[in-house]
Amino acid sequence: MAQLSVKICGVGFSNPVIAASGTFGFGREYNELYDISAAGGVSTKGLTLEPRPGNPVPRIAEGKSVILNAVGLMNPGVEEFIKNDLSWLKSKTTVIANVAGRTLEDYQGICARLDGIVDMIELNISCPNVRAGGMALGIKPQNVEEVTRLCKAALKTTPLIVKLSPNVESIAVNARAAESGGADCISLINTLTGMVVDIERRRPVIANNTGGVSGAGIMPIALRMVYEAAHAVDIPVIGMGGITCGKDAIAFMMAGARAVQVGTANFTDSYAIPRIVRETDEWLDAHGIADVNDIVDTLKLN
Amino acid sequence: MKELLATIKENKKIAEGIWAITLTLPEKVGKIKGGQFANLSVGDDSFPLKRPLGICSVQGDDITLCYQLKGDGTRRIAEKKAGEKLSVLLPLGNGFDLGDAKNIAVIGGGVGIFPLAAVVEEHLGKRNFYSYIGFRSAGYACLEDMFARGGRLTVATDDGSIGFKGNAVQAFLNDYKNIGADLIISCGPPVMLRALKAALAGHGIATKCLVSLEERMGCGIGACLVCVCKKADGGNARVCKDGPVFGIEEVEL
Repeated sequence: MAQLSVKICGVGFSNPVIAASGTFGFGREYNELYDISAAGGVSTKGLTLEPRPGNPVPRIAEGKSVILNAVGLMNPGVEEFIKNDLSWLKSKTTVIANVAGRTLEDYQGICARLDGIVDMIELNISCPNVRAGGMALGIKPQNVEEVTRLCKAALKTTPLIVKLSPNVESIAVNARAAESGGADCISLINTLTGMVVDIERRRPVIANNTGGVSGAGIMPIALRMVYEAAHAVDIPVIGMGGITCGKDAIAFMMAGARAVQVGTANFTDSYAIPRIVRETDEWLDAHGIADVNDIVDTLKLN
Repeated sequence: MKELLATIKENKKIAEGIWAITLTLPEKVGKIKGGQFANLSVGDDSFPLKRPLGICSVQGDDITLCYQLKGDGTRRIAEKKAGEKLSVLLPLGNGFDLGDAKNIAVIGGGVGIFPLAAVVEEHLGKRNFYSYIGFRSAGYACLEDMFARGGRLTVATDDGSIGFKGNAVQAFLNDYKNIGADLIISCGPPVMLRALKAALAGHGIATKCLVSLEERMGCGIGACLVCVCKKADGGNARVCKDGPVFGIEEVEL
């Protein structure tokens, strides 16, 4: 049994496998299947200041080894989360609050509200934003830096993760923009924008027409981007994108991630997270590695 | 609720485009209520999503799920042979709560009949079922015996190739004055459920009516918020967790 705990920005995680935002709610449903303290942490469903109803259905479609989703940030609002779920979730595992907003003020407001009461805050800057003219804040580096700086200013104690969108010109440039804005950590990748078409109806399957692509099929892209981002900044990196097994998690950590997030795999295998933790441990044992932190950033390029 | 690696006992075509797969569960999953569903893996890594399928019948440790060949995933499931294993997450959703109802009208259309068959099976001999099940034509008809065992059965087909010519809602409307139903349960395509809602209002039928909804799903357990329906009060409900069974007046159809 290897030592699996990791520390990111001073925050402890019992293991490096974190549930990714949007696939795990606030943890209660998966806790009916297994004790979610098995997860190193949970990144919550994206929270906004006000409740959001989300997009019309269908909100999900499938491609080969991938899925697409366009849920549209449906959530009960940050106050309901604080009132009903936060203390329970904290009693189980490390809590990353994933947050979003329509305006920069929304981002600042929700960060200020959660400061000091969650373990980390993760900015979702991949949703359309008023400030960016309806485009996601996460696309242009100057917008990434600006929203990061404003949120960081609203936080006294809680470390800030900026979750990077892969739908950009240069992931390294945007990673550096987050770092310049004062991010304590970056996580990536958010979903790639895609489309699935029902050719009989000649319509996209998802009501929103396009959706975020995730799942095993995107892993090589995610891994390349995590490598590039991790080598562009000095702050810690949380890697994600298509992880379905322990070997995948190991690959992300070798590429420079200090921890990983698992999302779509939860749908394929409800017990994916505890299984990935176990498989990671088994791989480390089989290779005589006593501490999972020792594999971070050990990739050697050809 | 558990996810288990179940062994396929039988997987066969039962009507045009409709298959029934019987799975032997390796351990108990607790009581399965009529109207609950299972999320069945396609058994191929290139299909990350499980398929939410209505549980049609429960026999000891075996469950039968029926499915329509609709896309590549269901076609792949149909290729699976007895003895192979598939991962299945169950039981999911709330199921039909029949309360004290004694005379129950069952209105099902197409693939919507599958969860209704499990309700009839569960309460066999304890309640009177008056079933109205509709199909496109004779070739698509299936599970008639399961409904017939529960009481009186009327089969309807759009083309009249067997039974009543018309749809299940029309068949029910022709008969409802004779049966004294104290509960209506229904599942079928949205167009059928909307027709049922309009018909109940139009005929001043105040009998309590429960409907089971269908939606594309992700996790199947209420975490991912993909499969929502609109509630009459303007809010959202999760079809997989808060449903799939709702009062007909509770949801927008």
